[in-house]
Amino acid sequence: MKNISKILILSAMALALGACSNIERSRNLDDAKVSGNTLAQQVCSTCHGLNGQSINPTFPSLAAQSKDYLSAEMTEFKEHSRRDPAAQAFMWGIARNFTDKQIAELSEYFSKQASPVNKAYSDPALLPVGKKIFEEGALENGVPGCNGCHGVNAEGLGPIPRLAGQHADYLYKQLMIFGSDYDEVEAKHEDELERGHGAVMEIMAHGLTNQQKLAVATYLQSLK
Amino acid sequence: MKLSSLFFKARGAILLLLGVATLAVSLDASAIPVFARQTGFKCVACHVGGEYPQLTSLGRYFKLTGYTQGDAKDFWNLTTNIDRPPVAVMLQTARQYYANNTAQQNGANPTSSYDMQVVSLFAGGHLTDNIGAFVQWTGNKYDGNETAQAAPGGTYAGGASGIDNTEFRYANHVITKDSDWIFGAYVNNRITMSDVWNTTENWNSQWIGYFNGGSAQAPTAFINGGASQHSVIGLGAYVFKDKTWYAEAGAYKSQTHGPLSIMTQNSSATLLDTSPYVRLAYNKEWGANSFELGLHSLIGYAHNTGPLTTYSDWTGSISTYRDIGFDAQYQYVLDPHYFSAHFRYTHENASNNADQIGATVAGPTNILNEAWADVTYIYRAKYGAMFFYNGARGVNDTTLNPLNANGSPDWDSWNPSIFWAPFQNIRLGYTYTFYTKMGGTSGTMSNGLSPHDYNTGMLYATLVY
Repeated sequence: MKNISKILILSAMALALGACSNIERSRNLDDAKVSGNTLAQQVCSTCHGLNGQSINPTFPSLAAQSKDYLSAEMTEFKEHSRRDPAAQAFMWGIARNFTDKQIAELSEYFSKQASPVNKAYSDPALLPVGKKIFEEGALENGVPGCNGCHGVNAEGLGPIPRLAGQHADYLYKQLMIFGSDYDEVEAKHEDELERGHGAVMEIMAHGLTNQQKLAVATYLQSLK
Repeated sequence: MKLSSLFFKARGAILLLLGVATLAVSLDASAIPVFARQTGFKCVACHVGGEYPQLTSLGRYFKLTGYTQGDAKDFWNLTTNIDRPPVAVMLQTARQYYANNTAQQNGANPTSSYDMQVVSLFAGGHLTDNIGAFVQWTGNKYDGNETAQAAPGGTYAGGASGIDNTEFRYANHVITKDSDWIFGAYVNNRITMSDVWNTTENWNSQWIGYFNGGSAQAPTAFINGGASQHSVIGLGAYVFKDKTWYAEAGAYKSQTHGPLSIMTQNSSATLLDTSPYVRLAYNKEWGANSFELGLHSLIGYAHNTGPLTTYSDWTGSISTYRDIGFDAQYQYVLDPHYFSAHFRYTHENASNNADQIGATVAGPTNILNEAWADVTYIYRAKYGAMFFYNGARGVNDTTLNPLNANGSPDWDSWNPSIFWAPFQNIRLGYTYTFYTKMGGTSGTMSNGLSPHDYNTGMLYATLVY
C-alpha cells in the first residue's frame, strides 16, 4: 500500500477507459437513442418503482395505467401544460427532451406492469363514504359517479386514467388541484390553471367537500 | 477543517478549537444548482424540503449513480447547452453575535460582526454515461487551513481560496429479473464525502457555519473531525443492493506531492498514511418514510511529523485512531411536511505515538465517545426549524484538553435554528448555539470562562444560483 498514489492513478485511468457511452444502461435524458425500457429502469424506477408501483405517495403508481393517459401526461410535462408544483419540481426536467418514440415506449412499459396492490393504511371509516361517491356520486352537488368514466373497477380507459390502487395522498392532491383550477376559471384566470386539460374534473372536484375528496381517494387506494 | 490538528498542536488548543474547528461547518456548502440544471429538478426533489445537503431517496440515487442522470453534455465533442451556465455559485453572508466578546478571537472583540463569509463555485455532473463529478471551489478568508495565521482563531489573513469537496465517481446500475444492483467507485478528497446519508461528518445537516472565531465545537473523533479534510485522496468502491443493503470500502492517504495532489489543499494538515474506511448500511423505505441504520469506521494512521518526500511517503512515528460507530436516519418526505432525524455515535480508541506523549497528549492512549443528534422539520419547503445536539465523553487528558484543570473532554452543546426560504435558492435564517458543558464542567473553567460565555448566534442569508 506504500504506492497508493500509483494505485489511485491506475485506477483512475481504468475508470476513464470505461468512459464510453453505455446506451443499455444510460441515464442520459437528452439522448434519443436511449430506449424507453432503459429509461424506465434507469430513471423512472427510482421514484415510480421498477414494476410501476411507487413507494412514496409523492409519486403516482404507473403500473397498469392506461397507455394513452401516460402518453398524454408525459407530453403535457414536456410542453409545460401540466404545471402543478410536483410536476414542475420533478417531471418538467425529466420529460423536457423525451422523443415521441420514448414516450410511446415508456407508456407501453408501464401500462403492461401488473395492477398495483396498495398496502397503505386506508381509514375504514372513509371507505363506505368513498365507495358511495365513486359509484353514485354526490348528485346534490352535481357530481355523478366516478365509475361512469373511470370504469366500474376504476381501471381507466384510453385517455381516462386508472385510479384503482393509486395512492390516496396523490389522488387527494389532484382533486385539490382540480378544485383550485375551477376557482381560477371562475375568476377568469385561465392562464393560472395547473392541470388545464382537466375541465371535466374541475366540476367534479368543485362539487366535493375536502372530506369527500379524501374519502373517495381513500376508497380508490384500497381498490385492487 | 482539521480538528485533527488539535492532537498535534494542542498547546493553545482553546483558540484553535474556537476558530478553526467551526469553519469546518461553514465550508461544507453543498447545494449545487449545476445538478438542478442537468436534471431539471427543483431543489426539493433531491433535498428534504429543499434543505440541502439533506438528501431524499431520489437525491441518494442521483449520487450513487455517479451524478449522471439528466441532460448530458457530450464530453468528447465539447457540446454544451449555453442556456445553462456550467457552474453554480453560492454566497453566504451573516451577522454574528457573541455572548462574551472576550471569549472570542474576533479582531478587536466586538459584540457582533458582519461579513460576506463563503463564496463557493461548483461544477460537475455527467461526464459520460457512467462517470460524473462533484467539484467545489471555495473562497473563505477565515480558513485557517489555507493561510498561515498568527492567531488561529480566525484573525483576518487576507483571503484564501482552494479546492473544496471534490469527487469523481464511476457508477453502474444493473437490473435483473430478481435484483437491483448499483455499484461504483470514487476518487475524492475528503473522508465521508462519498456518503449518501446525512449522518456522517461531511454531510450532516448543520452546514451553516459560524465565522471569524465564532462558536466552539466539541472534541471530535478523527473520522468526524474532517480529519485531514481536502488534504487526503481517497479511493473507494461501493455496492447498493435492492435499495436495501449498502457496503463501501475505501482507503485514504494524504497527498502532498504527485499528480493526485491537484485535488488537495492544506499541505500543513495532519499527514495521513493509508487508512482504511468502511461503511455499511441498511436502508428501508415505506410510504413517505425512509430509515437507515449504518456503521462507519476509519482506522486513521497519522504521522506526528515527518520529512516530506516525493510521492507523499513519510517516515516517522504514527498515531493510530481506531474509530467505529453507528448512525441512524429517519425521514418523512411528503409535501407539505418534511421531517428528518439523524443520530451518530462514534467510539474512538487512540494510540498516541511516542513523540506526542508529553507534548500534545498526556499518555499513550485516549478514548473518546462522540455523539451527534438532530431533528429537522420543514413546512411547504419554505419554513424550517432544526435542533442539533453535539456532545462528547471520554478519558481525561490534561495536555490534550486544557480547557479545564482535570483535562476532561466532556462536552454538551445545543443548536436551535430557524429559517425561511422565500425562493428555493434563497435562505434567511437565525441559528444559535449554547453550551451547557465544556471541559467536563458547566461552571468556571481554567480560563475563567464558563461554557455559556461561548454562546453564539448568527443571522444569515444564503444564495445559490
